[in-house]
Amino acid sequence: MARYVLQRFLGMLSVMFVVVTIVFVIVRVAPGDPAAVMLGPDATPADIEALRVRLGIDQPLVMQYLFFLGQLLRGDLGQSIFLDMSVTSALLDRAEPTTFLTLFSILIASAIALPVGILAAYRRGTFFDQAVTTLTMLAASIPSFWLGLILIQAFSVRLGWFPVAGYGGPDASFLTRLHHLVLPAVALGVVSSALITRFTRASMLDVLNDDYVRTARSKGMSEFRVVLKHAFKNALIPVLTVIGLTAALLVSGAVVTETVFSLPGVGNLVVSAVLRRDYPVIQGALLVIAAIYVLINFGIDMLYLLIDPRVRY
Amino acid sequence: MWERITAAALGGAAILVGAFSPAFAQERGGVVNVATIGELNTLDPMIATGDLLGMVTQHFFETLYTFDADWNVTPLLAAELPEVTEGGKVHTIKLRQGVTFHDGTDMTAEDVVASLKRWFSVASRGQLVAAKLDKVEAVDDYTVRITLTEPFAALNSLLAFNNSAAVILPSEKIADTLTEYVGTGPYMIKERRVDQYLQLVRFDGYAAREGEPDGFGGARKQYLDEIRFVPVPDANTRVEGAIAGQYDYADLLPVEAFDRLQGQAKTEPLVLDSFGWPMFIMNNKEGVMTNPGVRKAVQAALNAEDMLAAAFGKPEFYKVDGAMYPEGYPWRDDAGVEAYNQGDPEKAMALAKEAGYDGSPIRILTSRQYEFHYKMAQVAAEYLKAAGFTVDLGVFDWATLVQRRAEPGLWDIFITHSPFLPDPTLIAPLPASYPGWWASEEKEKLLGALNTEVEMDKRLAIWADLQKQIYEEVPFYKVGDFSSLSAKSPKLKGFSGSAWPYFWNAYLEQ
Repeated sequence: MARYVLQRFLGMLSVMFVVVTIVFVIVRVAPGDPAAVMLGPDATPADIEALRVRLGIDQPLVMQYLFFLGQLLRGDLGQSIFLDMSVTSALLDRAEPTTFLTLFSILIASAIALPVGILAAYRRGTFFDQAVTTLTMLAASIPSFWLGLILIQAFSVRLGWFPVAGYGGPDASFLTRLHHLVLPAVALGVVSSALITRFTRASMLDVLNDDYVRTARSKGMSEFRVVLKHAFKNALIPVLTVIGLTAALLVSGAVVTETVFSLPGVGNLVVSAVLRRDYPVIQGALLVIAAIYVLINFGIDMLYLLIDPRVRY
Repeated sequence: MWERITAAALGGAAILVGAFSPAFAQERGGVVNVATIGELNTLDPMIATGDLLGMVTQHFFETLYTFDADWNVTPLLAAELPEVTEGGKVHTIKLRQGVTFHDGTDMTAEDVVASLKRWFSVASRGQLVAAKLDKVEAVDDYTVRITLTEPFAALNSLLAFNNSAAVILPSEKIADTLTEYVGTGPYMIKERRVDQYLQLVRFDGYAAREGEPDGFGGARKQYLDEIRFVPVPDANTRVEGAIAGQYDYADLLPVEAFDRLQGQAKTEPLVLDSFGWPMFIMNNKEGVMTNPGVRKAVQAALNAEDMLAAAFGKPEFYKVDGAMYPEGYPWRDDAGVEAYNQGDPEKAMALAKEAGYDGSPIRILTSRQYEFHYKMAQVAAEYLKAAGFTVDLGVFDWATLVQRRAEPGLWDIFITHSPFLPDPTLIAPLPASYPGWWASEEKEKLLGALNTEVEMDKRLAIWADLQKQIYEEVPFYKVGDFSSLSAKSPKLKGFSGSAWPYFWNAYLEQ
């Protein structure tokens, strides 16, 4: 077990090194210049070149890469070109909204998907099952930004229950900030629930016809106990994987929803950094996102141990 | 080029809704939330251009001069307009006394000289002056003298402009990269959380000018306790936020939202006529467009009306107008405009043939970050194809476009837009250094004369000749004028619609 954890840890480091190197090269090879973006439309080539020197982006690529690796080894992700702050601070600023948005979205998605998926599998072929299949297809096809705008219309503009956008002003309490996350979490949760529902249903269908389920029934167990305790526990492994990957995706990929709701999340940070060519932020954020992906995968693998006693590392 | 378009205007800009009404008693207090189109790339208005930057930073940084309601230069930190001697070469500027920075220190000539030196060095507009600068010096604690090597008529306008701006900073805070944003403005920065808000609070030590407000000039009243600039990149969210009452002012909304904004309880539409002008810049340095005959053929092919209709929809939001300045500006002139909005593919085809056009593709650079650029490009491409041109439409993000346009070998036409600037010498594609590189002998002669001539009547005549030369040589193509749409709370009073909205003088009706 300890050896497995060590192996995984070393694997994680190499994945992140590869990610960082690829990202470093791609952002610099891609056209676009942070100095030109910062100076605006009327800047002269001489102004742009002077700023490039000040920012150190006039140096050869290899020098920049070695400097970046040196910083990284000291635990320093660098300084944002545009944000007047370190990349670490920029990411920490985004940690709260991103963490809670991901958490709420996954809770909402799971609260919808697990019972509905189980029930659809249990009532396979019925009207309910067909309705679930249709609705999940619909939910998966809905762009989250569109759902976000509909939610804003209904619950913010008409009913006034939630703020339209943002993450609260300077005096916003923790609860006020969370209040701002409700609608985006619902938008993301509903869309994410579609995939988890489909996986739950498929996974449950696989196990419901297994011998041990039939045995449990023949022993006179209640259907509730058979389905939830015996079947669902065994169906959970692929479902957990999907939930984990959805969570990882939400950390970095909720960009459109974050934009619609003007949330200062990690996804938004990455996209604006790409548009501005804020190299240090792109590199730092993608490094952290890669780490989150790897850690979530690792966490899911560890959860398998708890769920399935046959799994051994 | 400019994200925001300007210029309220010389009497011509029609503010349909929300103009200042003196019937309400001004009330002190309150917080306004202003939804802007995005986060700022920097808070240093010297190093960068960009209208959002000017709009926000003008609340905490100030310049020696600014513009009054009629777009005339008027003093702000200067006590009065400069004393100009030596045939326009020496500008002696008396400063107001008793002006303090947000850190409590007094503003003196030393700060002004240090700030201007930084402006000459790092600001693109400052460098226009630096090319003609002999020296800048403090005459005494409250007098500054700028000595030029030749007269420069646009100097006061450049000193008054709010982006690439000659803002006055405390000398001890001046650095290549600013780390503290200390100005003399009526509001000062309290807190900035990137992508969330920039919180400005009233500066209690502010020394307002005497008298009444007059455009950006005159007295600046500090009724509001706080102004919060909130970046809301999604335009629909800005619309919904205004309707829900979350934002007291929502900037630059899609014109399609006009009907939805009407009749709302918590917001109302605000339209600024003739807000700016889109243009197609031709590559005068390299490639197929260096052929003057081909440029004239392109001019003959383009149909401005169709491009504007595709880009802005309702006719209320655009004007088919070839003059470089709209009605109401002193610079308005119709010289040469008969060559505008021809939309004649057959004539274009004949002109192209005559010019020896060999079928080389015309590479157009555009960006969907400004959707109206892209729509105009699509229409233009069809008209050019109808005239027999081969068109290669390249769609890039704005950062890439800005980089590519600096390389003369990579493009033939790029699309941008501009405000109506207070002085034509400030129009971006006129200097030969701007991508497009228009450097004909006749143009240089006219632009030089416009820069150095100080008498207004003579400058107007030179400008008319220069506009005619633009239509003759076609270094760029003006597509027309367009309006902008914003939204404001009916409770927000004392606020005048502007290209660079400002919230001093504004107050919230209880």
